[in-house]
Amino acid sequence: MRQDRRLHWLLLAPALLLMAVMLYYPMVGTVYESFHETSFLNPGPKFAGLALYRRVLSDGTFTEVLLNSIVWTLGVVLLQNIFGFLAALLLNQNLPMQGVLRAIVLLPFILPGVVAAILWRFMYDPQLGLVNSLLLQAGLIENSVAWLADSRMAMASVIVAAVWKGFPFSMLIYLAALQNVDKSQIEAAMLDGAGPVRRLIDVTLPAIRDVIVVNIVLTLILTFNYFDIIWVLTKGGPQSATHIFPTKIFETGFGQFRFGEAATYGVFSILVLSVLVALYAIVQGGANRRRAAA
Amino acid sequence: MARSLMTTLFLGTALLSASPVLAEEITLQFWDNQQTESGLSDVQKAAVERFMKENPDIKIEVTTVPYPEYQQRLLTAVQGGNAPDIATLDQIWVGAFAKAGAVSDLTEEAAAAGLARDGFFGGAWDSAVLDGKLYGIPFNVDVWQFSYYNKALLDAAKVDPARLGTFEGLKAAAEKLTADGKFGVGLFGHKGEDTVVVGDSFIFSNGGRILNDDGSCALTEAPAVEALTYLQELSKFAPGGILNASSGDMRELFLNGSLAVEFWPALEQPTLKKSSLSWGFVNGTAPEGKTPVGTFGGWNLAVFETSQHKEAAWKFIQFMVREDVNGDVVDLIPANKKAAEAFLTKNRQEPQAIMTHLDNARARPLSPRYLELADAQVAMFQDIYAGGKPADAAAKACDVINTLK
Repeated sequence: MRQDRRLHWLLLAPALLLMAVMLYYPMVGTVYESFHETSFLNPGPKFAGLALYRRVLSDGTFTEVLLNSIVWTLGVVLLQNIFGFLAALLLNQNLPMQGVLRAIVLLPFILPGVVAAILWRFMYDPQLGLVNSLLLQAGLIENSVAWLADSRMAMASVIVAAVWKGFPFSMLIYLAALQNVDKSQIEAAMLDGAGPVRRLIDVTLPAIRDVIVVNIVLTLILTFNYFDIIWVLTKGGPQSATHIFPTKIFETGFGQFRFGEAATYGVFSILVLSVLVALYAIVQGGANRRRAAA
Repeated sequence: MARSLMTTLFLGTALLSASPVLAEEITLQFWDNQQTESGLSDVQKAAVERFMKENPDIKIEVTTVPYPEYQQRLLTAVQGGNAPDIATLDQIWVGAFAKAGAVSDLTEEAAAAGLARDGFFGGAWDSAVLDGKLYGIPFNVDVWQFSYYNKALLDAAKVDPARLGTFEGLKAAAEKLTADGKFGVGLFGHKGEDTVVVGDSFIFSNGGRILNDDGSCALTEAPAVEALTYLQELSKFAPGGILNASSGDMRELFLNGSLAVEFWPALEQPTLKKSSLSWGFVNGTAPEGKTPVGTFGGWNLAVFETSQHKEAAWKFIQFMVREDVNGDVVDLIPANKKAAEAFLTKNRQEPQAIMTHLDNARARPLSPRYLELADAQVAMFQDIYAGGKPADAAAKACDVINTLK
């Protein structure tokens, strides 16, 4: 038994060491920096107590970044999961050329984030973009819309781009779950006269409930941390209309060299992510217990 | 016999051990970035070879970093104590690098070598001076902005290109040229330095300033607010989406014939020459009777404090800005005025007009916290392009800028 435990720790050691160096050390460093005034001009950290927290919290941008992060995360997660689930349902049918269809649906996920963002930047171009061109042709708009330059439209526009990029990820997970649903239960429901919607609600959804919850929590974490789409499309603008925590941290730290304030934003970001990770652990633990009980 | 053998061995050993000292070679790390696709690295290599031939005891190792990564690479190197011996610094970084003690004061060296402001474009030289000390030597320059125009569109609208050089004329022309899916003027207001330099040039041309001599914000003064008001009015004739548009976006529209006037520095000429457009340019825009004052862009050569070979580094800098070398090793315009004249005559249309605009141009404020200052200005320009009151936007920017002093 003791030998087994030693082996466990031995096997875990490389991963733990890597995490300690690459993850926990920078994380502790970020917390340390957030209590110190550090910039390119004054690289030697000077203890500032809570001054940076007060400065960040009293700046109107913080509230905007927080609200933007909530809207962005919830918007992307909700839509990405809905479209991912619908795509998975479709691809779970016996359709012709299913392999080709899957490859097409997966394409946005395979594209690097920066490439996808550049693609959307072209599509959203007010004068030359495909989006305006299609909408004008369809008569849905009368004049070209500046999707990324209008602070009322910018957040919705970046959410759409992120959903397009991310929904295949959710689709993949849902598809794998759907293929594991007990076929005999579905056939039994069909024999009982249940239509497709009833079968979906009463059989399929309960069977993949744990996967849905885990998928949602996982995409919450990934989306909250997402950077490249927004940075390439708007750099957090216009003004701060699309600034979320990662873009604000990057702009403050690497654009203005205000490392202390960037670290303060980083600490808030870590706090939110810690809650999400805890949620993930609870959800995953519940799912494991239910599987064990079954 | 034995004695002569011993003597030979002794002398041989002495010579062998001495030879590394005699031939000790200094290796200098030189970092530069590449902004354009001009094949610069090849000619730079040739120049470096030439320097090494002239100075056989100095070896130069050149690292060329793509422009978008350059700032971060340099910053990380300085923070990590691995800075190169020499590097090109964007004019707007000099203040921060100097204040942080990362780059050397070259005032005495320049004076001893006879390098002075009058040998370079004045605004470019000023961009390297902080608190009376010189922290770099101007290497290359350009000026924002020249107003490039599409001749066919102007002819069709019966607009005299010379009118684009005045506030009144540009606005009237832009209004006339904005019709049938075409746009009069390529203003842009995204989060980028090109937004700032173009805005600054309108402020400078109207007699305004960004900072006062004491470092306080001057944007709320009448000339600056008037220029902002003018830009706001002009923006009605720009393509939509101004708050997320860059000079690159405007170039696309200009090249496809749907934009009559675009704002770019002289480095735009090679691109336009390759196009099928018939084009021309005027030197910026100012109110009637005033001279347009552009905003300098460009790079300075600096020696890093951590360099173990400052003397050799200084030698290399002197070589790079020499009249017969400077023109071969830059992809903008040489900062050495004599080299610039020869370069422009050979490579650009209307070289004298460009020289005049360079002579009149002004550097951006040399603040150690320039990047924060520029962010406040971007927010101000975005405010006015979004319809905010220019005076309020300027006051908001000044609230931020005055905390940076």
